[in-house]
Amino acid sequence: MTEKISTVNPDLDPETWVDQYGDYLYRFALTRIKDPFVAEDLVQETFLAALNGRESFKSRSTFQTWLTGILKYKILDFFRKKNREQAVDDIDAVDETVDGFYHNNGSWKIRPGKWDLNPSKTYEQNEFLNAFFKCLAKLPDRLARIFMHREVEGLDTEELCKAFQISATNSWVMLYRARMHLRRCLELSWFNKVEEENR
Amino acid sequence: MSHWMFNCKKVSHRVSESMDRNLAPHHRLFIRIHLLMCKYCAQFRKQLLFLRETARFIEYPPDDLETSTLLSSEARNRMKQMLRT
Repeated sequence: MTEKISTVNPDLDPETWVDQYGDYLYRFALTRIKDPFVAEDLVQETFLAALNGRESFKSRSTFQTWLTGILKYKILDFFRKKNREQAVDDIDAVDETVDGFYHNNGSWKIRPGKWDLNPSKTYEQNEFLNAFFKCLAKLPDRLARIFMHREVEGLDTEELCKAFQISATNSWVMLYRARMHLRRCLELSWFNKVEEENR
Repeated sequence: MSHWMFNCKKVSHRVSESMDRNLAPHHRLFIRIHLLMCKYCAQFRKQLLFLRETARFIEYPPDDLETSTLLSSEARNRMKQMLRT
């Protein structure tokens, strides 16, 4: 894909999106969701969302990056819906706070286990990524979103405060909680560590 | 109440915070000392770093799939039609 600096922008004609970005987005979705039909649907939803939200596209990112950004949230939503179908109680049961992880004196009650992992090997596995998305989708919505914004899009504190209309301190607390629950969920579902509660 | 550097809850909160902003040098030192003494907080930190690495992976281009993996022509047409109207 060649970058055109100003002048005519071919991205203004939505119909051309399919040929230009369709395959890329499809592969992106398929890498993360194995089902070709679901992947197709998500690409279609992405285009639809892009069509409706064209004004919010800022040329500081490429159009492909922008579309991919939308797709990532569609993927997250997909896992969220799937979780909801599987276990309704489970989702609502996630307590946003982290107090339960510690004793009153601040020592660990649910201790972080040792994750024996070789990152480059672990995250190459699709099943692992699957588990990661599922756990992400189990988080309360705003925690999942702030985590995505911070760790996937790489927004900084100032940008997060603007996006969520919160204070800096608040953003750090939310990220802390998101990370805490995410790591715990992965520990249970993937690393399958022995419970060490209540020693 | 003893100093926060002996409190896992407070230290782990700051470990997370250190991934989002620059902490004061002496705070970083307190954390580092605590991590040397406490394997659980050290593991907690490793896990957070791993989460970050994994999240970045989501961003990677889908280059491990064959470039011959294409949208079906049905899907292609359906989408074009949708975008046309």
